[in-house]
Amino acid sequence: MSVDLTIAVPLYNEEESVEKLVSRVLQVCEHLDVSYEILLVDDGSRDKTWEIVEGLSRRVPELRGVKFRRNYGQTSAMVAAFDHAKGEVIITMDGDLQNDPADIPRLLEKIEKGFDIVSGWRRDRKDHFARVVLSKIANSIISLTTGVKLHDYGCSLKAYRAKCIKSLSAYGEMHRFFPALASMTGALVTEVPVRHHPRKYGVSKYGFNRIFKVFSDMFAMNLIIRFSSNPLKGFVLCTVPFLLLILFFGGLGALALALQWTAGKALFFMMSAALSAMAVIHLAILGVIGELVVGTSDLSHTELPEIAKRNIPINGEESAAKGSKQRAKQKKVSIG
Amino acid sequence: MATRKAMKYSVIILLEEHEEDFPKYVQNLYNLFASRDESFEILIMANGIGGFLRNVLAQLNSLNDKLKAFEFSAKTSEAVCLRTALKESNGQIVVACGSFEQITKDSFVHLLESLDEKTDFISPWRHQRVDSRLRRFRSKAFNALVRKITKTDLHDLNCRVKIFRREVLEETELYGNMYRYLPILAAHKGFKIKEVRCEHSQEHGGKSGVANIPEYFARIIDILTLYFNTRFTKKPLRFFSTIGLGFILAGFFITFYVFLQRFFVGHPIGDRPILLLAILLMVLGVQAASVGLLGEIIVFTHGRKKKEYTIEKTI
Repeated sequence: MSVDLTIAVPLYNEEESVEKLVSRVLQVCEHLDVSYEILLVDDGSRDKTWEIVEGLSRRVPELRGVKFRRNYGQTSAMVAAFDHAKGEVIITMDGDLQNDPADIPRLLEKIEKGFDIVSGWRRDRKDHFARVVLSKIANSIISLTTGVKLHDYGCSLKAYRAKCIKSLSAYGEMHRFFPALASMTGALVTEVPVRHHPRKYGVSKYGFNRIFKVFSDMFAMNLIIRFSSNPLKGFVLCTVPFLLLILFFGGLGALALALQWTAGKALFFMMSAALSAMAVIHLAILGVIGELVVGTSDLSHTELPEIAKRNIPINGEESAAKGSKQRAKQKKVSIG
Repeated sequence: MATRKAMKYSVIILLEEHEEDFPKYVQNLYNLFASRDESFEILIMANGIGGFLRNVLAQLNSLNDKLKAFEFSAKTSEAVCLRTALKESNGQIVVACGSFEQITKDSFVHLLESLDEKTDFISPWRHQRVDSRLRRFRSKAFNALVRKITKTDLHDLNCRVKIFRREVLEETELYGNMYRYLPILAAHKGFKIKEVRCEHSQEHGGKSGVANIPEYFARIIDILTLYFNTRFTKKPLRFFSTIGLGFILAGFFITFYVFLQRFFVGHPIGDRPILLLAILLMVLGVQAASVGLLGEIIVFTHGRKKKEYTIEKTI
């Protein structure tokens, strides 16, 4: 049995807030004219979170729960939520009540307009000053590198059309980049401002060393996105600096031979050129293997056409226009 | 959650050597379980030892109702034996043992009783080994190394006796001869492991000299496999790019150092071998990182069904 809407919430040690969260989500959903379910993913909590969820599920028929054997992190919890959700639209949010369930209808409005992914944008963040500044910097860097322009990647309150986000492969801090990942298969991404409340219960699960992880995962993600659409091209581009090195060292070596510098010098230049050539060959071979790997996978070839075929009326919205341009580009990539 | 099985214990014996006392050993195990109230069965998995199993079974005629025996005519891996046994077994709890007695009867009973509601896996620790000094030292060093690398807290992986719930083996990707590391793999999947002290029963003769080089080598490879498997299967890029970055940085530092010498001390650099080393390091670094990237592409495009999380319950 499938439903229209899944509200998915990852929980990690949220015994104080889970009951309130569910009741507020229910309040909002009752006014919506859709069938819905609430999917709580317990990410290996060590407090009473799961007992409370079990208790709630007896009273609330729309509630479903998934409990991890141990703590796997927010990204895995979200992936599990996508795997288990039965809704055609999936809305994710934090379990600590910093997101406001009252914003759900606004996200849904955008989905109805034809967007595939709607990200929340916490315009007035109720967090520590340093965190706000850091995340602003991070967001602009992510926007630049992934090509998907959003103000607030870190916001957990997001709405996804289920078919755009199912069967993801993600780890670490990558849940932030789900919009970027999905836009790779042609999804239209936009954002809406949402409310943000200061944390009332529990402690923040973020630390400053997380910033490093976010960046390294973003870097990895970028590489994966770029390389897996066209691996040979990616790897061949990587050979360029080594080709230049071959020219440089080869030229010097030829000079050394012609002008009869010491034998040691000529040998050194020639060896360096040879080493660079090794790197070039290695990268080219990897590129070919990469093509084989991507060519034999079932990635996106099945999902893509369906999304790209849909004809969405886009009425002059900035991110939408960008989305369509991107979509056109992605389409080309997928065919090629 | 696994389907409820009718039987309480499935005793799985991995028989890999010709053991003279084997029939007696099986008989003892049978007596031990028969004296308890719970239902049980014994599965003997003979792994590439020729006709030995038939001789054994002839001597164990009286146990036929509880006994199942399987024979792999060609030697296969421990994992295949265990999986086959699991498929053929009906117990909720698996008691896996080796082909000879390693812990005393009292300790064995104690182990069985230690598996409570909150525990999924019992790993025995023979804290006072009745062994030669060399063996004790070797075992200690090995276990300490594994503890360090996998960040677990287990002291006796080499004991063949392991007691665990059925789900552990069903949900853990055990392959090759990684049986001894099963508790570590299970802990990685989120199962609750308990280590229980027990008494070592006797020294077991057999080939294991000081200079068993292939054996040491195999252990080192095992540890590397374990390290990679518990941390990086979903993210090969991280593993390889860390290595690659190390190489590249080393290369850069050497280059930097050589250039400093060139400009401040006036050392010529053109024919210094160390500069060649620097370039070699940088090339190696790029190669390592790019292999990692290819690994990541493979996981991204083909490894989607392999989930990183394990689920205990759903409602």
